[in-house]
Amino acid sequence: MEEYVGALWHKFITDAADKRYPKEAVTLEQIGKTAGILFRSWGGDSGLAVKSAAATAHGAKRSLLQRIAGSNLKAELTWLDGETLHLPTAIDLFPRMDLNRDLYIWLIALAATGSDAALPWIQRNQRATQDVLARFPGLSCRYQRLKDAVLSTRPLPERLSSGEREQEEAIRAALLNPGSVERLPPAVRPPQPVYLWLHPDPPASETASGKRDDPQDHEAGACLKKENDRRYQAERVDMPDSKDGFMMSFRAESILSWAEYIKVNRPTEEDDSPDGRPAEDMDRLSVAQDGKTAASRLKFDLDLPSPASDDLPLGEGILLPEWHYKKQLLQPAHCRLQPMLARSAEPLPLPAHLSATARRLRNQFAALTPSKVWFKGQFDGSELDLDACVQFSADRMGGFQARERGLYKAHQYRDRDLACLLLADLSLSTDSYISDRERVIDVIRDTLFLFSEALSATGDRFALYGFSSLKRGNIRFHILKEFERKYNDEIRGRIAAIKPGFYTRMGAAIRHASQLLIRQAATQKLLLILTDGKPNDLDQYEGRYGVEDTRVAIHEARQMGLRPFCVTIDEKGSDYLPHLFGINGYVVIRKPAELPRELPLLYAQLTR
Amino acid sequence: MIDLPFYKPHGNEIELFEHAFRKQLPLLIKGPTGCGKTRFVSFMAKKIGLPLYTVSCHDDLTASDLVGRHLIGDGVTYWNDGPLTRAVREGGICYLDEVVEARKDTTVVLHPLSDDRRILPIERTGEILSAPPEFMLVVSYNPGYQNFLKGMKPSTRQRFVSLRFDFPEPELEQQIVIGETGVDAMLAKRLVNLANSLRTLKEHDLEEAASTRLLVYAATLISSGFDPMDACRAALVEPLTDDEETAEALMEIVYASFGK
Repeated sequence: MEEYVGALWHKFITDAADKRYPKEAVTLEQIGKTAGILFRSWGGDSGLAVKSAAATAHGAKRSLLQRIAGSNLKAELTWLDGETLHLPTAIDLFPRMDLNRDLYIWLIALAATGSDAALPWIQRNQRATQDVLARFPGLSCRYQRLKDAVLSTRPLPERLSSGEREQEEAIRAALLNPGSVERLPPAVRPPQPVYLWLHPDPPASETASGKRDDPQDHEAGACLKKENDRRYQAERVDMPDSKDGFMMSFRAESILSWAEYIKVNRPTEEDDSPDGRPAEDMDRLSVAQDGKTAASRLKFDLDLPSPASDDLPLGEGILLPEWHYKKQLLQPAHCRLQPMLARSAEPLPLPAHLSATARRLRNQFAALTPSKVWFKGQFDGSELDLDACVQFSADRMGGFQARERGLYKAHQYRDRDLACLLLADLSLSTDSYISDRERVIDVIRDTLFLFSEALSATGDRFALYGFSSLKRGNIRFHILKEFERKYNDEIRGRIAAIKPGFYTRMGAAIRHASQLLIRQAATQKLLLILTDGKPNDLDQYEGRYGVEDTRVAIHEARQMGLRPFCVTIDEKGSDYLPHLFGINGYVVIRKPAELPRELPLLYAQLTR
Repeated sequence: MIDLPFYKPHGNEIELFEHAFRKQLPLLIKGPTGCGKTRFVSFMAKKIGLPLYTVSCHDDLTASDLVGRHLIGDGVTYWNDGPLTRAVREGGICYLDEVVEARKDTTVVLHPLSDDRRILPIERTGEILSAPPEFMLVVSYNPGYQNFLKGMKPSTRQRFVSLRFDFPEPELEQQIVIGETGVDAMLAKRLVNLANSLRTLKEHDLEEAASTRLLVYAATLISSGFDPMDACRAALVEPLTDDEETAEALMEIVYASFGK
């Protein structure tokens, strides 16, 4: 009962305190794709992802009701950093849905246009507003409507104390006539957030704050993985190195919230609260490097296996370059790629559960074998069909009214001079289950089997490789089938022996695979990449760094005349794959269980 | 005075074409769709005063479609010249549009014509035609298409003097839109800005960039009195994408230029 009444009260008081219109809300999810397209077309960096922004405290004055309700502490505003365009998760400021949507579009235009970051906030936003209005005259009536709507939600200057009043008047003037206000008059508190402008003080991004001592020791995706994908504002701080335990350096009664950063020397205590809700109430999450290696923080052991039980390494390893997108340069000999062969792979026949499908695929694919046939009796062709001509003339002379028939021979043949290299991602993420019985790796294994069965029926040359990586020195490149080898029981044994490995350093694997494929004499070369997620690795190879390196590797492959194509079972693949492979360079398989049957058919389509 | 089709040069392409013609060099023009390749060739044909034989290549195009074939007459067969043979016999520009679409064995017949021999052997009649000085071979293709099993043989590509076309600079493109359709400068500017916004989406969100031809279509619709926003949807947005969500996003870009 108590809870029920509490919930009612909360709803009543928050509704009374804040004029929001949840029924008319537009969410980022609804316009996510549009947002990306608009941002890029208006000149935004195409490498940036669009994500929801963390709400940040604005510190402005609150009304009495708001103070009772404990609301209006934070605002979701828009800002850009090196990797992401942060937009509000939802906008429900205005009583009409189209206005809320217009606000999103306006904010995207503002962010895409960009402005001189050195200018003070008020000037920067006025300048950006002017630029947007000049570039996109069609947005001006929207701006008028939005401006009126925003002004109606702002406090009236007459009802504010001095200082705040001048500030509010300056903002109103700047909204009415962008470019007319030089500076923001000082006041005790910051002004009410201006939803039509970009964030006054964008939170420092993860990459901007704090230098890591050891780039090899990165927190490896240990960031909070949330269902709702909301971003938290985070800072990186130094781990306190004092040895003298808990020392109270402030007055205890000033501890007000969970959010105080306390210098407690407890380097390895893990306290992963399953209920992450307190995090949403915090202004800032403090993350410290605790000096432990990544492995201790990860739930699984990622040490390389001992040489005796590991796969057989072949040769010294191959040095490959890697692209550093921030420096915009290719770092030569940055990665070491180690070709490997499965040690204990016994020759095996095709697994029984695949034999029926394999037989069907073989029959289908046999039709794709190159053939050169003369077709007789064609209406069009390069040669006369003498038999038909003689018959035709004889019929005419004999007085028969010969029906029209083809009198030509056509030489039809299919030109399938092609080689295909399939590169499969064998990272640890393939260890996850996609159904009650099957893991991703099982699906990949079946796919490799059926793909090989189908291709060996066509006579197209093909090779199979797998890869995983553990930092830049250990890229494991598993040889399953080389171009020159026949597909037989030995190869099937190697396919059966694949197991989930480490991480996904895709760029280096693609570079090496391109080198292997380019040596083939075929005129058409297809590089198929089979993966289940984004490129990532333990060191800096995650996020945009990995994506950009992979993109450059793909671009190099294209320059060499290969055709890269990506097949993924990552449902979020559409977020980053167009940037890597282009709009027609990838396909997302929604039901992973269907991958084994889909891939050969896809191959047939690609090479038709 | 001959009536030349409207053409605004981007650079030195007219000069290059004239030199190539005088020195009997074959010419390859590459560039995205709708950027003015075909218009340029027909302009040059008119300017030099030569007949133009255009062949749009497709993947069923055989060598005999270019060279010619025997036809059946009343009890006899007779030889019928294809467009290439006709251009060689009579002198003129033979223009093979989208040459990569043709099968590779087809384009091999161009080889003896496109080097210094300049001959066209016709196997079936036993003739060897040598090209007169008025004959010129021009081919074009769009390097953007990722046509996997096609693509030009390097040995074919190496026989041509090559010219790259791209979408014109904004100011030039405005003049082209004005010249083609007679719309006012303000509208042309908006359309060109819009097209340049859309072009940045190539490869990431769209397969092909908005072409100058589409811009001219949009301007034509608008100048004949059609609503500007609907004209942009019909001529610029729908031709570029089939995906509804993408189309809606592209319409937002249109609204940003034309107001809503």
